[in-house]
Amino acid sequence: MTVEQLKEYIAGKYPVMMTPLDTGRYDPVYEVKSGQLLEIARALRDDENLKFDFLCNLGATDTGERFEAVYSLASITKKLRLDFKVILPYEGAKIDSVQEIWPGANWFEREMWELYGIDVKNHGNLKRFLLPDDWDQGHPMRKNWDAPDFVRFPEL
Amino acid sequence: MSPTPFILMELQPVFAWIYELLQSLGFKGDLLTVVVYAGLGVTVFGVLALLALYLVWWERKIAGHIQQRFGPMRNGWHGWYQTMMDGLKLLQKEDVLVDTRDKPVFFWAPIICFVAAFCAYVVMPFGEGLIVADLNIGVLYIVAITTFTVISLLMAGWGSNNKYALLGGMRSAAQVVSYEVPMVASILTVILFTGSLSMVDIVESQSGMVFNWFIFRLPFGPIAFMIYITAATAEANRTPFDIPEAEQELVAGFNIEYSGMKFAMFFLAEFVNLFTVSAIAVTLFFGGWQGWEFIPSWIWFLGKTFMVVLLLMLFRWTYPRLRVDQLMEFAWKILVPIAFANLIVAGWMKHAGWYW
Amino acid sequence: MSALRTEEFIVNMGPHHPSTHGVCRLMLTMDGEKIVAIEPYIGYLHRSLEKICENRTYHQCIPILDRFEYVTAMSCNYTFALAAEKLAQVEVPERAEYLRVIMLELNRIASHLIFFGTTAMDLGALTPFLYALRERELIMDLFEMTCGQRLTYNYIRIGGVSKDIPAEFVPKCREAIKIIDGKVDEYMALLNGNPIWKARTIGVGYLSPELAVAYGVSGPVLRASGVKYDIRRDDPYSIYDRFDFEIPCRENGDVFDRYMLRLDEIKQSIRIIEQALDGLPEGEIKGKVSLKFKPPAGEVYSRVENSRGELGVYILSDGSDKPVRVKTRGGSYSQLQALPHFGAGGLIADLVAIFASLDIIMPEVDR
Repeated sequence: MTVEQLKEYIAGKYPVMMTPLDTGRYDPVYEVKSGQLLEIARALRDDENLKFDFLCNLGATDTGERFEAVYSLASITKKLRLDFKVILPYEGAKIDSVQEIWPGANWFEREMWELYGIDVKNHGNLKRFLLPDDWDQGHPMRKNWDAPDFVRFPEL
Repeated sequence: MSPTPFILMELQPVFAWIYELLQSLGFKGDLLTVVVYAGLGVTVFGVLALLALYLVWWERKIAGHIQQRFGPMRNGWHGWYQTMMDGLKLLQKEDVLVDTRDKPVFFWAPIICFVAAFCAYVVMPFGEGLIVADLNIGVLYIVAITTFTVISLLMAGWGSNNKYALLGGMRSAAQVVSYEVPMVASILTVILFTGSLSMVDIVESQSGMVFNWFIFRLPFGPIAFMIYITAATAEANRTPFDIPEAEQELVAGFNIEYSGMKFAMFFLAEFVNLFTVSAIAVTLFFGGWQGWEFIPSWIWFLGKTFMVVLLLMLFRWTYPRLRVDQLMEFAWKILVPIAFANLIVAGWMKHAGWYW
Repeated sequence: MSALRTEEFIVNMGPHHPSTHGVCRLMLTMDGEKIVAIEPYIGYLHRSLEKICENRTYHQCIPILDRFEYVTAMSCNYTFALAAEKLAQVEVPERAEYLRVIMLELNRIASHLIFFGTTAMDLGALTPFLYALRERELIMDLFEMTCGQRLTYNYIRIGGVSKDIPAEFVPKCREAIKIIDGKVDEYMALLNGNPIWKARTIGVGYLSPELAVAYGVSGPVLRASGVKYDIRRDDPYSIYDRFDFEIPCRENGDVFDRYMLRLDEIKQSIRIIEQALDGLPEGEIKGKVSLKFKPPAGEVYSRVENSRGELGVYILSDGSDKPVRVKTRGGSYSQLQALPHFGAGGLIADLVAIFASLDIIMPEVDR
């Protein structure tokens, strides 16, 4: 299945739930509503023609206005690649854990919770691991976060 | 009464002179014997400590050359006094102590280890007539005294109050006790033919030509030697049986909390043990000090022992390490049956007279 | 006999432990020598590389990503450059592509040699480590000759490579890979037949293919479990589709297979380098990339197969000269995450062997 066929297939099968984003330059990127995340994730993994069983990467992004959780998937048997993202509000960001679909999401979600403060529902193991255990200075990967002793270099 | 019936012929005048000197100073009777033996002990101790230092240097050079590098090169010719410098450094080091240690146990462990390692040399025949005391239970004494090491390792493991150290101590107890069995069985094979436990008698029973050495008594001689050398490697805690201090698993095992001179005592004892097991191997299987007349007997002994040491060092730098359960399996399922089968065959052959 | 009361106890393996290859801390629940449960604790090497990248221009990000996975720093350079090139649709000259492949494969060999040495060392054989480093030195010399660096190269840039190779590189490279080719056979002769080595590795640390895929385990560890998946072949990047090479794959998924698979991969990398040296064209080494590199807004996830599995970089660009977000993904991260699920149950010595066979490098996990 080529990239074009994959895009057509997705457009045919999930026309509403997955909104294609942008460009024809690289691997297809879609947007998924946060309420439908688990449903879409399970469908993508179990679909006979797609079989996205390999979670390459899962990372949160702070664009300055909102959070995005980006899921990069690969299919081992069908040799496909696909990205989709879930857009979350800045206040009270919450997302479902996809561990039941891809168990490897565990640490990626922990990192997302720790560095961005995105709450992960049904995670079960939200403990600090990159930052010190007694860290209480917020979520350092957020755009509006500065280290307490950080002096910003003046813009030239 | 002569305090030491066995002393090197060439040194006899010197010894007589010391003897007279002591007598003129007013020592007599039992006191004289004690002083003389103490002097002998100190001499043996000094020689062995020096030997152990050299074994460390030698091992490092061998390791270096196996690994395509030079090893120590800076201190003197090819680093010949490197280990003395290391020893001096360790002497000066602060003795770091953990508060939670079991104080007496922690303190006595290196001392027992060190003393036990040296005690074996009481009955070691270094050359013709060069022996501190020819006990008639020589081999039994050595087997008993070298096992003391395991007590000290267990004490070190327990006294350190450290989990890795404890694991190391437990491992060494299990290992040494297991390997003692095939080792003694292989030693018994030799004793069967000499009919004596005395080290001197064992060496003298192998006199004559080279084929009288026990290792050439087919078929049980070589088998007994192989079992002995395997068990001895385990006894001396060396790769592939160095699990009590397996540094990739237990960091440093039983000696993890020891520093400075206490660590150096363990370290030196390890090398003295290495020399001990090699010296026993030479005594039992390679005719001890025997060789051509024109070379002094103690050179024969040292030369042969160094060859066995070299063999053990080659093991260490070539083999991976066994896992603890595989190690025990190897001892009980392979070595012990073979050792006893060998002993039975040897006994039967002795009974039938099929030997020379 | 009345039941003996025993108690489980907890041992901290690391952060300072000789065989955790850095500062990983494994909290082991042990029953005597037997491991009941493993819990990895990471973060001792967290340097916030991703945050630093957000405040740097695209060109400045490359030397930072060198530190991300310093054993194969070339592939970190490359992954980031690949992502930026995909974003901005940069044309890369032929010669640069060939040079990149040569460097990536040389670096893969160097990394696998380190793996071979450290694994043997963790299993108690101290000597192979020195042998492996001796051969790695040949590769380091080639890198030093090309870009002046031996560990963090900063060689592969957006749009090409930083410097052309010197004239003596090609003959020296051919000589080096010929030596290494022979030495790999020697390594196999050194350890493969050794009964102790076999007893320590065969059947130890079985990782099932299902578990491997579920936890995102990739690279040699995945292929040793019988999943034939290599990004160089299945999602080709650069010019890997032009070369004739095989993807080694093994069935048993134990420590021995992971070890053998990496030695096989060295052989295949040598094949690729030979072909790349034969086909190396003349020409430019850098595409047209301005110093004020501003890719259009968009996002891309690029991934390459490096010696530890899938190395990925996600870039989100808003059209300015600095990335909004750089997310890196290393193979070790997923492998360490999977470790508790198949590593427990053995003895502590088995865990050391398993940990060594995963070839985990901590800066990649902690970032």
